[in-house]
Amino acid sequence: MSPRSGLQREVLSLYRRALRMVRTKPPSTRAKFLLFVRYSFHRNATTISPRQVSVIEHLMRQGRKQIEMYEDPSVKDCWVSKEMKEWNERT
Amino acid sequence: MQSLARRFSSQISSNARLFSTSTVALQATPVQKSVMNKEFKIYRWNPDEPSKKPTLQSYTIDLNQTGPMVLDALIKIKNEIDPTLTFRRSCREGICGSCAMNINGQNTLACLCRIDRNTSKDSKIYPLPHMYIVKDLVPDLTYFYKQYKSIQPYLQNDNPPEKGEFLQSQEDRKKLDGLYECILCACCSTSCPSYWWNQDEYLGPATLMQAYRWIADSRDSYGEARKEKLQNEMSLYRCHTIFNCSRTCPKGLNPAAAIAKIKLELATE
Repeated sequence: MSPRSGLQREVLSLYRRALRMVRTKPPSTRAKFLLFVRYSFHRNATTISPRQVSVIEHLMRQGRKQIEMYEDPSVKDCWVSKEMKEWNERT
Repeated sequence: MQSLARRFSSQISSNARLFSTSTVALQATPVQKSVMNKEFKIYRWNPDEPSKKPTLQSYTIDLNQTGPMVLDALIKIKNEIDPTLTFRRSCREGICGSCAMNINGQNTLACLCRIDRNTSKDSKIYPLPHMYIVKDLVPDLTYFYKQYKSIQPYLQNDNPPEKGEFLQSQEDRKKLDGLYECILCACCSTSCPSYWWNQDEYLGPATLMQAYRWIADSRDSYGEARKEKLQNEMSLYRCHTIFNCSRTCPKGLNPAAAIAKIKLELATE
């Protein structure tokens, strides 16, 4: 496997940060957070070509902003949409 | 009761007022203004379709049916032609700083910028340069506000007066003139080439001017700590006196002079 590009590493570190965020949440809602994080990353990973660098950079900025909000300890629950549940059953 | 109501209604109809003062004026037809079409080319980018490249979209509106300012034109376009056009606006009189954008190559407030009446040339409207775009003309100012927060823009004094408020001489108050009027529209910071290249570390003219506003304030006792924070390569000394900030400021302030004063204070202490 060829070495990862800088952007790939950035995306992976954001994903890691998101997964660590999930572990700080109360156990009852952890599954929902996990589904939300996995869906958000996996959906974009399948629909966006790795060559669309500017698109990925834009989504990274959006993602960082979003995660800053979710990392707040007062956020205890999140909403899971129907698409996310369907996606979860398929995989 | 009924008769009273009847009398009241008849009085209204007999007193119905006409706006024309003479019969000639009554018969006159209103003067039709000629059509004066002008083309506006506006930067469009939609975050919902991030794979599409940003484009310039052109709109033609009749200037005689529009207010005098660029913001009036934008609002007219949004109301009548394209409701998807996105921009920030609030006070429409240059006091909120929401509608900062790049109009014909100059950063300014759309509400303070007159439309050029020359209809042979189009008007180009872009968002503030070198900022990440949220949508169309809306730039992402998160980092700009974070920088502003980092200079602690509030009064810090460990020895507040025992009774009542801080007192300040008229001379001390005069030092704040030309500083406190800043509305943080970000026009100056985004016009500064130094800020374009070093946005992450250089504070930018708007923030530095506010830093000086608190250093210059006679009621604030943390001046030394504030100056200490700026005493490094990047925060302040990336200013190379380019003067784009003073040139573009829609409020007519002079951030470059404020930065020069901080430099002087740092050099002479």
